[in-house]
Parts: sequence; structure tokens; C-alpha cells
Amino acid sequence: MLLEIKNLHVSVGGTEIIKGLNLAINAGEVHAIMGPNGSGKSTLAQTLAGRADFTVTGGAIIYKGENLLEMEADERARAGLFLGFQYPVEIPGVSNVYLLKAALNARRKASGQPEIDSVEFMRFVREKAALMELDQKFLARGVNEGFSGGEKKRNEIFQMAVLEPDFAVLDETDSGLDIDALKVVANGVNKQRDGKRSFLLITHYQRLLGYIQPDHVHVLAGGQIVRSGDKSLALELEEHGYDDILATAKA
Amino acid sequence: MHSAAKNAAVLALQQQALESFVNAGFPTTRLESWKYTDVRKLAAAYPDWLNNIPPVDTAGQPELLDIPNAIHIAFVDGKFRPERSARTLPSGLLVGSLDELAEAEPDLVNTQLGKLLNANSSGMVALNTAFTESIIALTVPENASFDGPLYITHYSSTAETSSHPRLLVNMQANSKLTVVEHFSGAVPAIVNSVSEVYCASGAAVSYYKLQQEHADSWHLAEQSIRLEHQATANTTTIDCGAKLARNQLTVDLAGEGAYLNANGLLLADAARHIDSRINVEHNAPNTRSRERYRAILADKARGVFNGRILVNQNAQKTVAELTNRNLLLNKGAEIDTKPELEIYADDVKCAHGSTTGQLDQNALFYLLARGIDKREARNLLVRAFAAELLTGISVPAIAERTQTALQGLSFGDT
Repeated sequence: MLLEIKNLHVSVGGTEIIKGLNLAINAGEVHAIMGPNGSGKSTLAQTLAGRADFTVTGGAIIYKGENLLEMEADERARAGLFLGFQYPVEIPGVSNVYLLKAALNARRKASGQPEIDSVEFMRFVREKAALMELDQKFLARGVNEGFSGGEKKRNEIFQMAVLEPDFAVLDETDSGLDIDALKVVANGVNKQRDGKRSFLLITHYQRLLGYIQPDHVHVLAGGQIVRSGDKSLALELEEHGYDDILATAKA
Repeated sequence: MHSAAKNAAVLALQQQALESFVNAGFPTTRLESWKYTDVRKLAAAYPDWLNNIPPVDTAGQPELLDIPNAIHIAFVDGKFRPERSARTLPSGLLVGSLDELAEAEPDLVNTQLGKLLNANSSGMVALNTAFTESIIALTVPENASFDGPLYITHYSSTAETSSHPRLLVNMQANSKLTVVEHFSGAVPAIVNSVSEVYCASGAAVSYYKLQQEHADSWHLAEQSIRLEHQATANTTTIDCGAKLARNQLTVDLAGEGAYLNANGLLLADAARHIDSRINVEHNAPNTRSRERYRAILADKARGVFNGRILVNQNAQKTVAELTNRNLLLNKGAEIDTKPELEIYADDVKCAHGSTTGQLDQNALFYLLARGIDKREARNLLVRAFAAELLTGISVPAIAERTQTALQGLSFGDT
């Protein structure tokens, strides 16, 4: 098992958002978590990535057999956990390419590999940028600086493609994307599916799951997973909306 | 060619400066422009340090910036060191005492020396005028430029001494010049510098100052630039050393179409104090200026920024934009900032703004989530904050050295 979340409780600013969440993800699996606004989806994503101002008040998260909650955000990333941000941050003055190189070398160093050769790195990065249909010129620009919403999301998947994580949490990567950008993003994710890498897709809409076929779908509501099923659950949600499902779950 | 006789004009200038200082004394915090910078401790040490005469042949030397084609002028403990300077100085450039300057270039002394900054500017300028041992004075002829940047180093190698660097730049019409003043030191010293720059019609100057004095030094510097018709100045002043530093830049946009692009960076940690101020006067129509100042303060450092833009009544169509951004890396760090606009013309476009804050926690988390460790992530964000100001500098070594100084800035956990 790659990731196991047991009875997780998380508070943000003194308010409990995640209230006893359980989830298990095996290597190679794609899980989708769906849920209405305010259900705790993004809190879960950022808690997994190690956001310091979110307080875990109970439960455990085991990642690759280790206690994830004892690791800092940067250690988690170096251990192969990747968060695709819902709202990627603009960092003027730090170029995209510099960030990628620093991030990649941090991961390599953690696994005992030498720093990547500069020429090899640029070839690798250009190849991945082309895959994500990102203009080469953006590499030299500040991180996400002046990017449109769609470009920022594509940049997240591009970073994932370069960093080749073992476990990627994609937090509403589909929101705000037009259909073409959505296809590019989905294609980027599908290319990364290799039977070993796992994904947790966090989304409000079924739309993305038309392009990325999940193995499991979970419904998050009120800080708990209230239903789990296969990809047909997503279609059911699309048809009947969250209200029906939540009503059934409560009954 | 040492002339024993004091030149009459120089004698008058220096006597007047000394008298003025004796009457007014050191600047006090009662003066608005010295409100936050208390030089009483400097004043107490000054007489002794002024009387400590450094040996003429000290061996220490600064870590030089690597500037291609630089015309290097080396000063150590306030004394010109020709053997460490460029072997041949361009014609039009003189390094010597005020008397020697008066003998060689009487017009320069009569019409320009002490005209932009004089004893009335401040007690520190008065002291500089009274005690400066040698001046760097240069005239760049019409339509001409030097073969490379003028690179002036002022280095303190004898403890508890004082020096009074003085620069006079006379740029004739359509001439070009890049000048770098680099202050550093191995020991505590008092450095009290004055620079005057005249730009005639169409002249273009790039003026850079990099201050990396010893951590127990006092550094005071004033620069004044006058820009005639269509003249331009690009300035960057960087203060990242000294226990107490104060830099004041005054620019007079005196001719129509004159343009100023002024940048300033203040870096301080420990309990150091840096005061940086800029005073811009738009005195002619169609003049433009942009001022960008940033401070990065750690530990218990104290920063002061004062930016004043004055637009006089006849300076219609002025465009001016002043921004000040400050990064406080620790709770104990502090800045007093005051951007001011004074506008007496009615057809102008002026803006000013100031922000002060800590490192962006969202940006920090973003970098951490990419596997970059906390220390490196913070360094990266701090460097990025400074880099935005440093990108326009035409002498890359200055930006590189500043980034190195930033690495050395000590900041604990915020």
C-alpha cells in the first residue's frame, strides 16, 4: 500500500474541517475525490502536502510505510509526493526553470543521485514542456508570473511531469480550464500513468473524469468519505447531484 | 606639482565649511531629515578618529568587483593609491588635492565644486568639504565617453580613522559615463562621502554605489545630480554594510525632458541601522522620474526610507512614480518609511506607494511543496525580492556581489 489515511481529523484556524477520514491507495491506482464546496477537499490535499498552519488533531497518515505527519512539506516532496495546487502561486524573480532544476536536484540528492547534467536537464525540460504545449519562452519567466489561469494549471502538470513523483495529489486542476486545456492536462496525467505511480484527483465536477479514468471514486462531505465506488459513481453524481447522494448516505 | 600656497577659492570654501560646521555642529534628530538617524556616538568618536593618521602604505585591499574595461581608482583610508589604480588615467580625470584641482581646473572649482552640495546641505557635507584630502574630478567632453566604467574603491584598512571621499563629475553635452563608487573596509572607520554630478544637455550618466563597510563602521554619503535638457541618470545605491549608514541622493531635473531612473536597496541584519533617502525635484516641463527603493531587514535591524518628489509649478507634463517595498524577515526588524509627493503643477502624472511585509507564506509553501528545503526556499524568495531591482544594472558584478551579501544576511526563524 502506498498511502493509508486512518481516522484523520484536521482543523484550520480552530475549526475542524476533516472529521475522521479513511482512505487507502495502492501503487498504480487513480483515485478521485469529489465533493461539494466546503466539504474539505482542498484541506485534505494541502494536509497531505504538509501545510504547516493546518493542524492534524487526530488520526494517522502512512506513506510508503512511514509516518507522513512527521515529515516536513519539503521532505514529503523529496519522498515523491507532489501537490498540484488549486491556486498556483506567482513568484516574480524566481524563474520557472530555476525552480524546476532546484526541485529536481533536491529530489535526486535525497535519493542519493548526483545533480542532473545541465544539457540533459534542458533537453528533458523542453520535451516535457512540448508535451504540455507550453511555450519554451515561459521557462525563463518568473514562476507563474503573468500566466493565465489555464497556463498556471498546465504548468502544475508540467512540473509533475518533470519531477516524476510516486504520488500526485491534483487539487482541482480542472477548475477554470476550457475544454482544450482540460484535454492537455488530462493527457499529461494519462502519460504519467505507468502502473506504479498513484494519483489522487480532487475535483468538483465529473468532467475531468471523462478524460482520466479513475479506479476508485469517493464522495467527501462534511469532512468524511460518505461513499466510495468505481467510476460509475462519478456518473451517478453528475446525473443526480450531490444532494441525492448525501441524502442516501445519511439515511 | 605640490603648490604650497593655498588657492584662495579653495581656502574660502573650506573656511566657510568649517565655520558653518562649528556653528551648526553634527546633524541632530531634531532636523526632519535626520529624525531617525542619531549620530551622537559618531560625533563623540569623531575628533579622535579624525586625528588618527593612517600609515601611507597599508597592505590591505578590497575584494574588487570584476568589471570589464574598468578604469580603477583606488583609495585606501582616504588616500589615493596610484600604484593600485589604473596605470593611465583618461585625460580630463584628475585625482589630487583641492588646491591641485584649483590650479589645473580653476573653472571647475569656481563654477561647480560645492555648488550642488555645500556646507548648508548638512553638517556632514560641511565636514567633508573642510577635511577632504583629495578629490576625484573629471570632465567628460562633449559627445565623448570613457573606454570603460570609472570604478572607484574606497577601502578602510586602519581602525578608527576617518575619510572624506569627494567626487566631482562634469559631463558635457551628449557625453556618457558609468561610474561605480564601491565602499568597503576591514576595520571600523568613519566614511563621509560627497559626490556631485553635473549632466549638461543630452548627457547620460549611470551612477552606482555599493556600500559594504565593516560591521562597526559609520558610513554617511550624499550624492547630488543635476540634469539639464534631455539629460538622463540611472542610479542604483546599495547599502549593505556598516553599523550605521545614511545615504541621501538629491536629483534636480533642471532641463526640459530630463529623465531619472533611481533604484535603492537597503540590506541589514543584527542591530544595524540604514537610512536611505531620495529627494527629486522636477523643475522643468516634460521631465520624468521613476524611483524604486526596497529594504530587506533581518534580526533587529532598523531601516529608514524617505522619498520625496517635488514638482514645481513650471514642471508641467511631469511623470513620476515612486515605489517603496520592504521585507521584514524577523519580528524585531523595523522600518520607518515616508514617501512624499509635493506637487505645484496641475498637469502631471504622479504616483507613489509603499508596502511592508514578511515573506509570502503561500510562496514559501509552494517552494517547500516542490522539495526545496526551508532555508533555500527563504533564500530564494529574498534573492528574488532583491533581483527585481538589480536586473537593470549595467555592471553585472554589482548585482552578483549584492546577491552574495544577501546570502550572508543572518536571519533566524520568522
